Amino acid sequence: MIIFKNVDRTFAGKDTVHALKNINLNIPEGKIFGIIGQSGAGKSTLVRCINMLEKPDRGDIIVDGVLMNNLDAKELRIERKKIGMIFQHFNLLNSRTVFGNIAFPLELAGASKDEIKEKVQNLVSLVGLTDKLNAYPEQLSGGQKQRVGIARALATEPKLLLCDEATSALDPETTTSVLKLLQEINEKLQLTIVIITHEMSVIQEICDKVAVLENGFLQEVGPVIDVFTNPQSVATQRMLQGFLATNYKAQPSEISNTLLRLTFVDKKTHDPIISQMVRAYELDVNILFGRVDQMKETPFGMLLIELSGNHEKKENAITYLRNNGVKVEVLN
Amino acid sequence: MLWDATLETLFMVSSATVLATIIGLPLGILLATTEENHILEQIVLNKALGAIVNLGRSVPFIILMVAIIPFTRKIVGTSIGTTAAIVPLTVAAIPFVARLVEGALKEVDPGVIEAAESMGASPPEIIYKVLIPEALPALVLAVTLTAVNLIGYSAMAGAIGGGGLGDLAIRFGYQRFRGDVMIQTVVILIILVQGIQMVGDKIAHKLYHKN
Ligand SMILES: Nc1ncnc2c1ncn2[C@@H]1O[C@H](COP(=O)(O)OP(=O)(O)OP(=O)(O)O)[C@@H](O)[C@H]1O
Ligand SMILES: [Mg+2]
Repeated sequence: MIIFKNVDRTFAGKDTVHALKNINLNIPEGKIFGIIGQSGAGKSTLVRCINMLEKPDRGDIIVDGVLMNNLDAKELRIERKKIGMIFQHFNLLNSRTVFGNIAFPLELAGASKDEIKEKVQNLVSLVGLTDKLNAYPEQLSGGQKQRVGIARALATEPKLLLCDEATSALDPETTTSVLKLLQEINEKLQLTIVIITHEMSVIQEICDKVAVLENGFLQEVGPVIDVFTNPQSVATQRMLQGFLATNYKAQPSEISNTLLRLTFVDKKTHDPIISQMVRAYELDVNILFGRVDQMKETPFGMLLIELSGNHEKKENAITYLRNNGVKVEVLN
Repeated sequence: MLWDATLETLFMVSSATVLATIIGLPLGILLATTEENHILEQIVLNKALGAIVNLGRSVPFIILMVAIIPFTRKIVGTSIGTTAAIVPLTVAAIPFVARLVEGALKEVDPGVIEAAESMGASPPEIIYKVLIPEALPALVLAVTLTAVNLIGYSAMAGAIGGGGLGDLAIRFGYQRFRGDVMIQTVVILIILVQGIQMVGDKIAHKLYHKN
């Protein structure tokens, strides 16, 4: 759907900022793709390159087969109409009502009055704002404004929706409801969604794949569950530490005990693997820390345990766990 | 007498306000949009326009009025009278309107302009559908301020034979020692200014939808 080929972007100025460094990225169709990184990592620059709000200095950006960086102004406007975008600060027109805001892209597309009326009606009911049709943005809450933003972005039936920190200005509860709406839209309309965020929880809740960006470099890309359970880059590990409490420091109660961190994914979280292991190998297990969570639909769990017993039995138990698809890290 | 003079003043001020807005508005739009990083970035044009506008604003009205007498004569056929006074009033107000419009348009949230760009809006569409509607309350206040200023200028124009309340105040109030006429004209001028400002504020407030 979206291909980045050797994309570079620098900002000249007193201190030149190299915001994107040789980015190669392939964003698949129909999925929710997350891009995470700290402030200043280059996330906004990356997503703004997709619709050429930011022009790359070097490299190619291809969206649905169209080479974006070589279009002239008129061709670019045509392509932009096929890409929806929502913003952290909503960017609604204060002079227009909810109706007028959603109608705006339809007016640009040259839709007739009746067509606009019908489409806007459908869109407000999709985002759950039917009763706010004639309200002005100043009369809406942040969450409602973002719903208008989403409806507006979807008005011209784009195949791609770009979200730059779409939930960063919202409280946690509103964030969840907006994310749920985005997921519904992704499923209902088979729309590709690119989400920029600095919040791990956003990635965890709705993304299928994630790219990690740091200092303008793409650190790693992969399915969320893989990146979260088996991070390859130091940057990702650092970001995950706080979030998954993987840096939880525990000491075994006895020096001879073995400290293990177990990671379970998907079906494994349903199986009574630990109790089976205890029975099979006659070991004592002490649970020091644990959490069970969900990555979009995939359940995911992490346990910090210590094993006490004879060395060979412990070795066998670890092999047993690994054979059952549990990721085992020996911490001492 | 007083009534006729008031009508003359209103005629001069409203004509000059309308004409100056018609010319100053596009000029202000150009000033705002040709700036660096704006939708019609044209830095050289922007600097040149800015310089011309500044020049226009730095000439005192009294001097401008006299200096453009040949131009006024060409357009109106005479340089004396109420109609003739409209020309210097308009010329003086154009750069003023242009700067106010520029300021009003620059207040529009860049994020909103960017959102329109991301939806594939062309520069004219952004001007007509985003910049002007979003800045409309500020634009109404700009026109109001222009009209109020022009009342002051029109009194000056009156003093050199332009007609209107200023003319009356000088000829009767000052030269014939009619203190009552002087006071009456001043009171009417105050009422005019207050009235225009009030109407402008009301309209702007009605249009204001920003928190
Ligand atoms: N228009 C610009 N002019 C100069 N420097 C810029 C510009 N836009 C971005 N930068 C710089 O490029 C780098 C990347 O910025 P970017 O906005 O892409 O970061 P980000 O990951 O989106 O951060 P945040 O989470 O704070 O939004 C930063 O160092 C920033 O200062
Ligand atoms: Mg950003």
